[in-house]
Formats: sequence, structure tokens, C-alpha cells
Amino acid sequence: MEDNKITCLDGAMGTMLQKSGLKPGGCPEALCITDPACVTAIHRAYIESGASILYANTFGANRYKLTGSGYTAPQLITAAITCARAAYEGTNVRTALDVGPIGQLLEPYGTLSFEEAYNIYCEIMEAGASAGADLIVIETMTDLYEVKAALLAAKEHTSLPVFVTMTFEANGRTFTGCTVEAMAAVLEGLGADAVGMNCSLGPHELYPLAERLCAATALPVIVKANAGLPDPATGEYHITPAEFADEMSRFSALGVSYMGGCCGTTPAFITELAKKVRPLTVPAREIVRKSIVCTPTNTVTIDGVRIIGERINPTGKKRFQQALRENDLDYILAQAVEQADAGAHILDVNVGLPGIDEPAMMVRVVKAIQSVTDLPLQLDSSDPAAIEAGLRVVNGKAIINSVNGEPEVLARILPLAKKYGAAVVGLAMDANGIPPTAEARFAIAKRILHEALKYGIPKEDVFIDCLTLTVSAEQDKAVETLRAMQMVRDRLGLHCVLGVSNISFGLPARAKITAGFLTLAIAHGLDLPIINPSAPAVMDAIRVYNVLYNVDKGAQDYIAANTGEPAAAAPAKAESAHDIPYAVAKGLGTDARRLTAALLDAGTPEIEIINGQLIPALDAVGTRFEKGEIFLPQLINSAAAAQEAFDVIKTAVANRGAPPVTKGKLIVATVKGDIHDIGKNIVKTILENYGYSVIDLGRDVPPETVVETAVRENVRLIGLSALMTTTLGSMEQTIQALRESGHDCRIWVGGAVLTPGYAKQIGADYYASDARESVSIAREVLG
Amino acid sequence: MSVTLTDINRAEVLQYLGWRGSEIPPEVSSQLDSCLTDTLSLAAPRIVWQAFQPETLPDGLLQGNDIRALLADCREYVLLAATIGSAIENAIRRAQVRGLTRALILDCCGSTAIEAVCDAAEEEIQTTLGAAYLTDRFSPGYGDLPLAVQPYFLAALDAERRIGLTLTPSGIMTPRKSVTAILGIADTPQPHRFRGCACCSMFETCTYRKAGKTCGRQ
Repeated sequence: MEDNKITCLDGAMGTMLQKSGLKPGGCPEALCITDPACVTAIHRAYIESGASILYANTFGANRYKLTGSGYTAPQLITAAITCARAAYEGTNVRTALDVGPIGQLLEPYGTLSFEEAYNIYCEIMEAGASAGADLIVIETMTDLYEVKAALLAAKEHTSLPVFVTMTFEANGRTFTGCTVEAMAAVLEGLGADAVGMNCSLGPHELYPLAERLCAATALPVIVKANAGLPDPATGEYHITPAEFADEMSRFSALGVSYMGGCCGTTPAFITELAKKVRPLTVPAREIVRKSIVCTPTNTVTIDGVRIIGERINPTGKKRFQQALRENDLDYILAQAVEQADAGAHILDVNVGLPGIDEPAMMVRVVKAIQSVTDLPLQLDSSDPAAIEAGLRVVNGKAIINSVNGEPEVLARILPLAKKYGAAVVGLAMDANGIPPTAEARFAIAKRILHEALKYGIPKEDVFIDCLTLTVSAEQDKAVETLRAMQMVRDRLGLHCVLGVSNISFGLPARAKITAGFLTLAIAHGLDLPIINPSAPAVMDAIRVYNVLYNVDKGAQDYIAANTGEPAAAAPAKAESAHDIPYAVAKGLGTDARRLTAALLDAGTPEIEIINGQLIPALDAVGTRFEKGEIFLPQLINSAAAAQEAFDVIKTAVANRGAPPVTKGKLIVATVKGDIHDIGKNIVKTILENYGYSVIDLGRDVPPETVVETAVRENVRLIGLSALMTTTLGSMEQTIQALRESGHDCRIWVGGAVLTPGYAKQIGADYYASDARESVSIAREVLG
Repeated sequence: MSVTLTDINRAEVLQYLGWRGSEIPPEVSSQLDSCLTDTLSLAAPRIVWQAFQPETLPDGLLQGNDIRALLADCREYVLLAATIGSAIENAIRRAQVRGLTRALILDCCGSTAIEAVCDAAEEEIQTTLGAAYLTDRFSPGYGDLPLAVQPYFLAALDAERRIGLTLTPSGIMTPRKSVTAILGIADTPQPHRFRGCACCSMFETCTYRKAGKTCGRQ
């Protein structure tokens, strides 16, 4: 791009190919081999109309979309770039490798993993670079996670500039909910060379979105709009080339420097566009830099107190450690959702435990958490490999927790922050420990900032942790922490992070000290407290601060939190149960818990509660369900109440150091290729309530995983679920694999499309039409 | 393109939940109400449809006898794809962490919502086409039209680009609460051929039918 001039891109390729006779749904990229002259002629028409960057005809040239086409991606990419270059021999026009979405949604929406997506893109990027592309354009993207896979592949496998444009709806979000601001924050961090938007809307509708983007990024901005909106019945676009050029020319004032056309545009549009915008100059943009962390759908700007939830951390928590060792993600996810519901803005994620593969666990936990909340994450580890593994798969802009003033640590971690575009927490300490004075901590903070800037990390992405010492041990140090934060805020202009609760260790009524310190700390510059958002005292302290410092206008939040109904739709609490069967029948979990605890206190053996009360209660509920007297939601509510009772029993057994109570182990899994899991989860819950230990392998489970687990854990009963006619084949393969392994086991199957006859045909031992029948099968096989 | 979803039929959600007329306790009733409200706000209905001449229809899309019978009198065909987007799936996943009842109800609300979106789409199509007569809506997986034709629907409508609808390798549409369908355009009124239990993929295992009832969707 010439300084402050507009570069014209080309217009639609697909529209032109369809005009040349390509059938809807045909493979446009194949024409680069079957009719290269046609493709080259289109490129030439765009050059003649004024385009100086051509998008090669490679949009859908990926391994997945080309399945069954008879072509490979590298083959078509090479041909496409040759077609483009043939159009402009001897000019200074440039060719972009045009990279579109793979064509299937990534996990957790679909079955494509981030790593597989990355691999698919690596093949494309390498092929484009070796075929001689001058730059890479990743376009028409709706999923920021997929963009990340593509951008990493481009940056790690080529040295070409990479432009990215995503496709937004008029509400400023993509189909998957990604906002303009989140796109800017993430892509700028990952090193995109220009960002923008294409497709979906005409220039008129894109204008307000481009305005937002230009305010959110310092990168060059691209707009490639459609020719207005399509007619529903015919798919035809409605605005004229002159109208298009008029509308597009308005973008120059916003600072948009690359302009072209998408669906419905032709060389005539680009001719008008070039005429109109070539004489214009693009003003320099003044960007107000802000500290931002985000996921695609949720941008958190640090312009006030933002709570970092501390509870995803095994330190000193036996139950959490057990969950990590047993790979029990459900427990960890419950902590994530609870903190989100309690008001956390960001979640700290620490999965470090001796004897655990921390990088692998970090990947699993990060992926699982981001499938159930949209809160940005803070990756907390002392292992750089775990940090990097987490940064790779995080969907959004994360925070690294942490570096300190040690040169070696800075040299290891800061390049990761730079490469993945993460913010970083710097602890105000070094090899000599935590300095006693505020001045010495400030000096380290300054050094960390200086180093971060050297690596190209922007100042707004550096946060400082001035460190809390226990006031009962070192009473004179609390004030040093406060002073240090004030200095960091006032003199360096940086945001402060702080783990607060340590302050009160060893004192009675800890919550009082913690809350008091927190209020003071916020007043001294703390805006990212790492706390437990479920603790009322700390949340109160923040609300009080926000009222006193005129942040909470009209004290609205404060008033809302301190008046009115207890939050959440507590199910009508009119009745209170007197025995366990009644509590289970009515789905009263709290009562089931209370009554179970009372029986245990009275000396009733655990097994007697299970066999004498819980199971008969569940049987009664099950019978009513079979008769149609109650329906599925009631059955599940009863199961949930029984689960509460079981939790009490399990804890009592664990506290006694006795082996867990179980009636036997079984496996449940939704087969490979299938992602329906509610039915399977209902079966799991109900079986657990009957005292079985259920190993839940999740969904989209490959046959070999089922076999391995069955053999390793010596499991005799295996339940498989499939909900699609297309995934019944993979159910059959799983059964076959189990049989071939020689492992002695019974297999039961279920799912909407299955029938007893088909179950038999594919070699299952049992067919269950619902969760109740699964219980009968388990009783028969395991007792 | 988008259609507006103004209401989700509570009775239909109850059918998806397997309700057979028993008394609904107040806590389940209020869970259902809250899920209905949430689904209305989470659903982002988007549709794309287009009329095709027989010769412009992708080869291989019309498979099986049922679809040929349905379209016997038709001069043109409408392909339709519709989705309510993926926000509802996020809510379902999140609900599952806390307990399955809400997740299950939300799932059933989503299924009801996408059918309502298709009904609205059909109305829009009818309005646009004016005097012509439409056949029943027929989707891959109905009768003997295999799910394997799904990719043709999505490609012909450019559904990935237009409404964000894609397929997994095993043929599951994502976002999950999505539908594709074909409708024939004829010059004479078209009978309802493909409604009723015999054309339902649940035929063999349906608990309503076993109890001598129907789910009401015929």
C-alpha cells in the first residue's frame, strides 16, 4: 500500500464463474485445471478494472471440501496461483492465496479439533507459499477459533503477510457470535498484517461495523462488501456499480485502506470503485489503546475492577486434586460455571499437580472450560510448556500468570506472550524473593515493563502483581503492597493484579481482614483482584468501593445486590420432605442431602441407606415413569436429588478411608462421529444413582478408546449411544472392535434411530429404549 | 435472510419431552417457562431458500421413490435451509454442568423452535411465490431420502456462507438446531402425502405410537 492511498482489491470470483456456467454447488477451484483460461480471463478483467491485489481461486481448496473431488488441495492451489499470475505477467499486481473456512465447525460445535484444523491449514499455506503467492488472505470467516488455527498455520509455515477478514451480520457479530472488537484484539495479538470484513452485507450495512473496527485496531483495515443484499427468491444482488462505489468511498474517511468487492460484484464494480477512491487519501487514525482480554463473544475491558476467579486451582484442595488425577472434568467445569454465575469476569486456570502431565491437562481443561463459559482465561503455571500449550488452544485473548523480574523467566515467557498476543502478569519479585519495600517492588515492575516493551508487547498488556504477604506474620508489609500498587498505577500507568486472600491467613474471622484489605487495595490501584467470587464479603467490598468511588452510578448494583428476592429461580420451596423416598420422588435435593446426613449421624450404615431407601425410591420413580404417571424432566429431577444423597454418602465413606461403595463399573460413550450426548448423560446419571461407577468417555469417541478403556479398567458392561443413521456404522465398528479384542464384556446400545432388530444385527447384546431399561440391563449383568 | 420467531409452542415442547398427559408439577412447569423464554432470546433464526429449475438442481439430490412421488406434478423446486444458530447449544452445554433437566428442556425447546422457523419460512415462500401450490416440506432422512444428500442441499444454497450452516463428516448439521428441506412448486393443489407416523424416522421406537397415541405432529 502506498502511504495514505487506497489499494483496490478485486471483486467476486464465484459470481463471475457462475456467469460463465458453473452450477450452484459445483467445485469452482477445479476450473483452474479444467478451464484455466476462463479463470485467468476473470483475473485479467479485474486487473483492467483497477485491482492491484488478486485473490486466487483457492477459497475452498482444502482437504475436507475436496474430499471425493479427485483433486488435492496443493494441486488446485498451484494451478490457481498459476492462473492468477498468467493474468499480469510484467506488472506489479500481487496474488493472494485465498483461504476460506474449512467447511465444518470446530469443537465443541462440531467434531473438528483445533489441531486438525491447524493441520488442514498448514497444507494450504505451504502449498500457497511454494506456488508463489505474494500474500495470504484468510477470508469469509465466522469462527475466530478457526481463524486462529489458520493464522498460526500461515505464520508458522510461511513468511508471507497475512490479511484476515471476517463476515459479520448487521448486529456486529459473526454467525458464531464473534464481535468486531474481539476479532481486532485477538488478530492484532496473533500478528495479522491487516484485518477487516467481507461478504454478508453491502457497504451501507458494513459502514458502522467498519467504524467500530477502525476504532479498535491500529492495523490497516480491509472492506470487501457484497453488492448490497441478495433477493431471497433469486439470490441476485441489487445495487449498481456506481452506487457501490459511492458507498465504498465513504469508508476512506474512517481510515479503511484496502477496498474491494465480494458476492455479486463484477469488474464493472471495481472499475467504478477504482475511479472513485484512487484520488482519495486515508487519514491517519488515532487509536485509544485499552487493556482488553476477551473470548470471541465476550470482551472484557479493564477500565474498572474486574474479578479474576481463583478457584480453578488444586493447591491445598484434596477434592480438586482428586478430580485432576481422575480426569474428572465435570468437577472442574462446575467450578468454572459457578464462578461465572457468581460474577467473575476472568477465570484463573491452574492445573499444576506433581505427577500430572501439566501441558496436556492444561489443553484439556482450557478446551473444556471455554465450551461452557465465555469468560476470558488467565493461564496460571510455572511450567512454560503448560503456558504455551494453553495459549495455543485458548479461544480469545488470554493472560499469562506469570513472569517475575528474573531475566531467565522473562526471556522464556515474554516471547510466548508476544507470539500468541496474550497479556502478562509480572510479579514484583525476583531470585532474591519479594523485596520488603514498595520502592524495590516498583523497581522490578519497571524492569518487567521495560523488558516486555523490548519484545514488542504493548504496555496495556502488562499487569503487575505487587504481592500480598500475610499480615499476621509481617504486619508492616501490607502497607508496602498498597504503596507499591499506587506507584505502579500512578507512575507506570499499569493495571495491578493481586491474590488477596493470603493477607488474612492465621487470623480469626479472615473474611473481615480480606474484605478490608481488598477495599484499600482497590483504592490504591488494584483492578484485577484474584478472589473467590462466591465469597459474599469480597463481593460486598467491591460493590462498596464502586459506590464510594462513583463507579456504580446511582448505587444501582449495590442496591440490587442488597434488596429484593434471593436470586435465581429456586424451585417452589413450599414442601419439605420427611423421608428420603419422598425427597427423591419430588426431586428435593437439599432435603435428600439433609436427610441422608441425619441417617448417617444416627449410625445407619451407608449400604443400608442405598439399598433400603435410595434404590427403592428410584425404583418407585422409575415405575411411575414407565406408566406415564411422570415424565422425563421429573425422572431426571429425582435422579438429581438422589445424586445429592449419594454425594453425602461418598464423602462419608471417603472420610472414613473406606473403599468407595460401588455395584460395579461400566462405560458409556457416544460413538465416533456423533455429538449428541444428552441422552447418554441421562443414562449415566441414573446408573450412578443406582450405585454403579460410570466411566463416561464423552461424545465422538473412537472405537479404539472404548476398547482400550474397557481392557485397562477391566469393564464388563459397555453402553454405546448413536442418534443418527449415519453414525450407526461407527457403532457397529465399535462393537466389532470390542469383539475382536477378545475382551469379555456385554454391550448395550441405545439412541433414537436404533431398533431392537438393528441392535441385534450389529452384534449388541442388549437394546435399551430409555434410561430405565439401562438400569435393568446393568442389574442383570453386574448385579 | 431472517424470519422472526415470536413464540415457541409449549405443547410441542412437552411432546418432545415425552409428556403423556400426567400432571406437571409446578417446579417443572416453571423450569419449562424459563427455558421457553431463554430459547426465544437465544434463537437467531436464519433461513436461505431458492427456487430451482429441474435442470439446475444438483445431480444426485433427488434420491429414492418418496421424493419422486412428492414432486411428480412439480415444475420447479424450492430448496430451504434454516437454523436457529449456535447460542442455544452454548446454553445447553452450560446447563449440563449444573444438571440435566434444564439442558434437556432447552434441547427440546430448540427442536420446537427450528420447526417453527421452518413453518415461518414456508409461509414466506408461499407469499413470495403467490399463486403457486407447494408440496409438503420434505427433508433428508424422511422416508427413503437418505441423509447422504445433505451436502447437495447446503452446496446449492451456499448455506455455509449465507446462514453459517455446515455438516460434520458424519453428516450432522451444525449448528445442531437446523433443518434442510425441499418443496415442490405445482400449478395444482398438492395433497399432504408425507405426514403421519409411517413417514417418521421414529416409527419403530416411538413411545407415543406404542401407547396407541400420536405425538400430534402429523
